[in-house]
Amino acid sequence: MPEITYREAVRDALGAVMRKDEDVFIMGEDIAEMGGSMGVTQGLLEEFGAERVRNTPISEMAIVGAGIGAAMAGMRPVVEIMYEDFLTLSLEQIVNQAAKHRYMSGGQIKVPLTIRTQGGAGWSPGAQHAQQLEAWLVHIPGLKVAFPSTPEDVRGMLWSSIYDDNPVIFFEHRLLYPVKGDVPEEIEPIPLGKARVMREGTDVTVIATGPLVHRSLDAAKAAEDDGISVEVIDPRTLQPLDEDALVESVKKTNRVVVAHEAVTRMGFGAEVAAVLQYKAFDYLDAPIERVGAKFAPLAFAPVMEQFVVPHAEDVHAAIKRTVGK
Amino acid sequence: MASEVKLPRLGQGMEAGTINKWLKNEGDAVSKGEPLFEIDTDKVTQEVESDYEGVLLKIVLPQGEAPVGQTIAYIGKAGEEIQDTGAPQSAEKPAEAHKRDPEREEGREAAAAVAESQVPGTAEAVPGTGASNGRVKASPLARRLAKERGIDLSTLQGSGPEGRIIARDLEQAKPRPAAPAAVPTGDIESVPLTNIRKTIARRLTAAWEAPVFQLTVSADMTRANDLVARARELNPDVRITVTDVLAKVCAQALMRHRDANVQYTEDALLKFPTANVGIAVAAPQGLIVPVLRSVERQSLVEIAGARGDIVGRARENKLTTQDLEDGTFTISNLGMFGIEQFVAVINPPQAAILAVGATIETPVARGGEVVVRPMMTMTLTVDHRAVDGAEGADFLRTVKQFLEEPALAL
Repeated sequence: MPEITYREAVRDALGAVMRKDEDVFIMGEDIAEMGGSMGVTQGLLEEFGAERVRNTPISEMAIVGAGIGAAMAGMRPVVEIMYEDFLTLSLEQIVNQAAKHRYMSGGQIKVPLTIRTQGGAGWSPGAQHAQQLEAWLVHIPGLKVAFPSTPEDVRGMLWSSIYDDNPVIFFEHRLLYPVKGDVPEEIEPIPLGKARVMREGTDVTVIATGPLVHRSLDAAKAAEDDGISVEVIDPRTLQPLDEDALVESVKKTNRVVVAHEAVTRMGFGAEVAAVLQYKAFDYLDAPIERVGAKFAPLAFAPVMEQFVVPHAEDVHAAIKRTVGK
Repeated sequence: MASEVKLPRLGQGMEAGTINKWLKNEGDAVSKGEPLFEIDTDKVTQEVESDYEGVLLKIVLPQGEAPVGQTIAYIGKAGEEIQDTGAPQSAEKPAEAHKRDPEREEGREAAAAVAESQVPGTAEAVPGTGASNGRVKASPLARRLAKERGIDLSTLQGSGPEGRIIARDLEQAKPRPAAPAAVPTGDIESVPLTNIRKTIARRLTAAWEAPVFQLTVSADMTRANDLVARARELNPDVRITVTDVLAKVCAQALMRHRDANVQYTEDALLKFPTANVGIAVAAPQGLIVPVLRSVERQSLVEIAGARGDIVGRARENKLTTQDLEDGTFTISNLGMFGIEQFVAVINPPQAAILAVGATIETPVARGGEVVVRPMMTMTLTVDHRAVDGAEGADFLRTVKQFLEEPALAL
């Protein structure tokens, strides 16, 4: 199995789908000659030309709106929002248009639009370029929300997102782009709505997303020295959520830590905790622990940024609390 | 201090009652023996008299259902303050010190602080640390396990954060004693029937409808024991037991005495082509009889493997209905308890059951000499509607022969 980076995996999926399917095109700020601000779309302009690899004006509302229109007209556009912080500018289109048309037309109109975006802290981009806003989108019926954490997942899930007839918000993470991982020779589509057990364990289940998957795996390794066996699960798709997989794991371990980089309060983890306390109430042996960012904007100053976001040590400490160590 | 009026237990088995109405109002003077309220149980409606003298200070439950023992009112001196609960207040103090920061992410520091504040010995100083304010602090899992195992959580020491009782605290806990000494009334504990208990009762009651007779015989187990020992030697991976030999021997005997491998029905006698032998298992949830199929066609090793599987699953409560169906004969072995001989109740609709006792070194006469031999006593209970005495005796003689000379079973 070849080893590629998360960044290459995204590019791989885009290229493969565009080669296969004339209806797929990509659009976004500086994605053509420059190859995107994160270099993800490098080389695609040369292969597919300016018709299908389109630079846009700096207007997130226009980018998403044009994508919705193209999707309604039968294309399968993939638009890029350079930073997920800027999704806020396009929310009218996402929430009131993309998420609603299929429902309001009684299924006559489909919006097979994929909105790729990235974000995250850890490299001091400041308060307006480092947020994790997935919780804003999972709250909207009509959208699917993906947040893969490995090269294999990002490649297989981007494929599935593009071929999904619903709008998919596809979160990537800035710090994951250089992460390497084995991928199958040929792209294997990974269905949306399926969690993945990253590591099996018996004492605590850590449900983590994005970069926290990797930090939780580190924490699980550290917890091994304390004699704690940790299971790590990545839901991969936040909406729809693979509740069965999470519940099954909790029934085995009886303890839960939910971990994400986004602010803890009102975060995605709150919903996971609510689902589990209801569906696995009689199996819980400790309060569900949540690990996430403190309730504060992220500073430019690296020390202050690092103080706010969660680390492997935080997950480790939460794991220990659940087992009373 | 005001006295608590608790919902009384008016009869054995009463778990809860429903207050119909109060015969006194708050503020009324009450004398001892005066009717205080009217209560509905599932049997009667009845007036309950006051045990206390004073003023009815507060009615906690004006109407509706409550469990036995719940505080429903307070009687005391006029103008007296009422404490919300009768639980010792002192027990709350340490728990309060451990109160959590509501914001969990900031709770990390809080938890660390808690850990530091837990001076060694503090937790032990509070009796039943899980209890605070009369409520036992326990995880949902611990509560469920306690309920399933009949363990009283208030008797446990919680080892979780803040003295919470968690699942591991139940590992060593003893089930609630049948008659705790602390209960002066000597209440009889009423355990609701499980479905399996109901089934056992129904089936065995049905068994009494069958006219049965018993036949008893003892077999010299010398060769059978040798056979088990040799079979184990040859098959170290499989645990072969006397029960497996018994199953095999009974199946062979049933094939030679087809008239004993039968079942009585209203219209016809059913004769079975194969011997499906049930093994009575004392599972934690109750007696259960999983079935080994076509035992006459199986080798000893196969039987031992199949028996290990079904008995194991019986103990883990993982049998399917299929495992319990189609038995034509049952073996019940209480030898491991040292029981020498007993009479089993037939397992309807089957026509026969073999009750097997312990193998005991016994002096017996052989060729005019007294020798010591491992003897095993078996009692066959037979449904006389299906099998006559001579047929049953003939079958049992064959079983004995096969056990004493296993080669004859070939």
